[in-house]
Amino acid sequence: MDHFTDKLPQMDLMRSEKMTFVQLIIPAESAHCCITYLGQLGLLQFRDLNSEKSPFQRTFVNQVKRCAEMSRKLRFLMDQINKAGIKSSLSVLQSDTHLEDIETQLSEHEHEIIEMNSNSEKLQQSYNELLEFKIVLQKACGFLVSSHGQIVSEERELEENAYSNGDFVETPFLFEQEIVPGPSKSNQSGLRFISGIICKSKVLRFERMLFRATRGNMLFNQAPTDEQIMDPISAEMVEKTVFVVFFSGEQARRKILKICEAFGANCYPVPEDISKQTQITQEVSSRLSDLEATLDAGIRHRNKALSSVGGHLAKWMDMVRREKAVYDTLNMLNFDVTKKCLVAEGWCPIFATTQIQDALQRATFDSNSQVGVIFHSLDALESPPTYFRTNNFTNPYQEIVDAYGVARYQEANPAVYTTIIFPFLFAVMFGDWGHGICLLLGALVLIAHERKLSNQRLGSFMEMLFGGRYVILLMSLFSMYCGLIYNEFFSVPFHIFGASAYKCRDMSCRDAHTTGLVKYREPYPFGVDPSWRGSRSELPFLNSLKMKMSILFGVVHMNLGIMLSYFNARFFGSSLDIRYQFVPQMIFLNSLFGYLSLLIVVKWCTGSQADLYHIMIYMFLSPFDMLGENELFWGQRPLQILLLLLALIAVPWMLFPKPFILKKLHNERFEGRNYGVLNTSEIDLEVEPDSARAMQHHDDFNFSEVFVHQMIHSIEFVLGSVSNTASYLRLWALSLAHSELSTVFYEKVLLLAWGYDNLLIRLVGLVVFAFATAFILLMMETLSAFLHALRLHWVEFQNKFYHGDGYKFRPFSFATLADDEN
Amino acid sequence: MGFVVTSLIFLLIGIIASLSTRIFFNKGPSANLFHLTLVLTSTTCCWMMWAIVYLAQMNPLIVPILSGE
Repeated sequence: MDHFTDKLPQMDLMRSEKMTFVQLIIPAESAHCCITYLGQLGLLQFRDLNSEKSPFQRTFVNQVKRCAEMSRKLRFLMDQINKAGIKSSLSVLQSDTHLEDIETQLSEHEHEIIEMNSNSEKLQQSYNELLEFKIVLQKACGFLVSSHGQIVSEERELEENAYSNGDFVETPFLFEQEIVPGPSKSNQSGLRFISGIICKSKVLRFERMLFRATRGNMLFNQAPTDEQIMDPISAEMVEKTVFVVFFSGEQARRKILKICEAFGANCYPVPEDISKQTQITQEVSSRLSDLEATLDAGIRHRNKALSSVGGHLAKWMDMVRREKAVYDTLNMLNFDVTKKCLVAEGWCPIFATTQIQDALQRATFDSNSQVGVIFHSLDALESPPTYFRTNNFTNPYQEIVDAYGVARYQEANPAVYTTIIFPFLFAVMFGDWGHGICLLLGALVLIAHERKLSNQRLGSFMEMLFGGRYVILLMSLFSMYCGLIYNEFFSVPFHIFGASAYKCRDMSCRDAHTTGLVKYREPYPFGVDPSWRGSRSELPFLNSLKMKMSILFGVVHMNLGIMLSYFNARFFGSSLDIRYQFVPQMIFLNSLFGYLSLLIVVKWCTGSQADLYHIMIYMFLSPFDMLGENELFWGQRPLQILLLLLALIAVPWMLFPKPFILKKLHNERFEGRNYGVLNTSEIDLEVEPDSARAMQHHDDFNFSEVFVHQMIHSIEFVLGSVSNTASYLRLWALSLAHSELSTVFYEKVLLLAWGYDNLLIRLVGLVVFAFATAFILLMMETLSAFLHALRLHWVEFQNKFYHGDGYKFRPFSFATLADDEN
Repeated sequence: MGFVVTSLIFLLIGIIASLSTRIFFNKGPSANLFHLTLVLTSTTCCWMMWAIVYLAQMNPLIVPILSGE
């Protein structure tokens, strides 16, 4: 068998691609070009040779800063375009524009836009102020006219002052002047007023404050504005109130002005004279219309500037991002002694070496360099990164496996089997071909819109769904298959594959409800017999069937895992692992749970009434007792004793020999210290994979550590065999839950609603059934079964063989740059 | 009898599927081996599922007892 498997070609996704550690020596003038072409190729992972240096000590830090500055300007321009709501059309692809040109253009545009923005802000502020003034004029004029008479009468009251002559206080003619009292009126006693506008929410407090400050010697009139206006300072739309405060005295005036300032009320001087009022109102209106025209012109100018640059932005952003990545990579390289060459080190797959050399040659040619790039392989101390070449179909499965842990370099990849077994175990828990059809439709929709959706930016949930579309496709196909086997279509069985195998004992079917039907034919050819659905003994039968099915699947799955560990051991040439780990593990698992599976199959085939629990338990408790009616086949008792002995021997077999043999081998190897260390794998498997193979490990063989490690591993396996086998019973549990939920929704919602004659109740029932199916069964159950199938893979399957302590190959590639940023 | 016949049918379907993937999706030896693994795995899973359910119904220990009035 071994020769046969050796002659087979290496399977595609089974083990990581072979990687090699390479060193490049690049002359300085072609460095930028080389890295750019390597980024386009995307198959080389650079190692950071300057990791001790801070970002500011690196060589190309200025260029990186320039690129960062440019991307900031680009983001600013994109922001402005979005705010202005301009749709930019993609411009025609021009020839290569250089980075310096882009830089100058960008700074010009940015400067322009900032200037235009600040200008329009100033204009907008004056516009708002003028608008407020206009409103104040409108409302306050009303007060002044009505209170004209009041002012006169109140002034007459204050006639004790010599200055009171019944004249009105002169108010300024044009709004630029303040209310300046004339020298002859230094002792103001006439009634004056201040008019302004204030936020509506503050009016009450304002009035109260004024009242207190002037000790009641004031008259406060207010009128709210009809609509919201823009506040000049905060640039929000607020409701405001126009007010007029009548007062007398200079002190009162100062106090009132201060209070106005504190409350953020804007005071606008309003002339008392009606003619002056109309004049000022006209002036204000004309200025307003002028400002409006200016503002509009300004906005149009800015939008034009933005749209002219908008078409290029996406392309420029891409270029700047690439340049920054190239300089970041250049920062990882070392200058060699002569300062004329850059040294790069990294990992690349062996199949890519020719492509890389091609790219380097092209770069040398394009940058007109005299000297070519030197490219050779080195030996590395650390273990290589893991690289699997996946396509759209296998990528989600590889990601599922990687989510648990990236495979160690060149160990067996569980994704090969996960591709089929994961959807299959999902389907065992989901089995209903009606729901399977719904899932299939969903998957087909996603696949049909593949091209469109892959270019869009999707939300994180949709992205996961879209990325896993082929997983969902396989899940739905297997669900339909398992649904046909369980004979459930939205929990309704059908007679698709012929008549049922059960019929009544006699024509009257009297006994059907007490003793039940009788089997008169061969079993139903495909799947569960439809007679079971709705019968009283349905659950005992299905439970027994599904539990035994789970155990059988579990034992087979775990055996597959152990077989993969055998193939790993063969690949790494570790016969120690085969003899002292694989063999006892197989013996232990199969002598106990493989035997249980055998008993299950024999019991089914013979139809005996033996109690399997009893057999298994008493195999341990009293193996030498006679079996009696639990005897399923001849020679069962000696077989059981033999299997028990084998299992008991297997435990110390996997526990003790390996550490002692490792110690012996280690001592043998390092007896002659002058000899170099050969690349043997026994020790490498025990030791951390990324430590040096060199001489350092002479004395590092810690026997107690190795022994404890082996003991933990063995105990984990022995105890885990019971718990892992039992864990597979979740296949039964979830499938039961799904079937019961489905039955409840069908019988208690749909059938109940359909029983009534009323169309409305039927419709409501249908709608409730549809929603319950969609949300609970299709979404929640899908996620639940997905999770449990995932757990079965990650824990029960993979802990038989998978180490998962490698690291992923992340090449320097322009294609992944966009993904990284998003 | 029905068991053996249907198992042979599954085997036949498996062989036909493997051959058709080899014919229609021939992409080199390593990819072919991968596709073969996928087909074999799915055929085995499907056969096992069917076989388990069939065997369980061959000699049942309980029979359907109709519920109802």
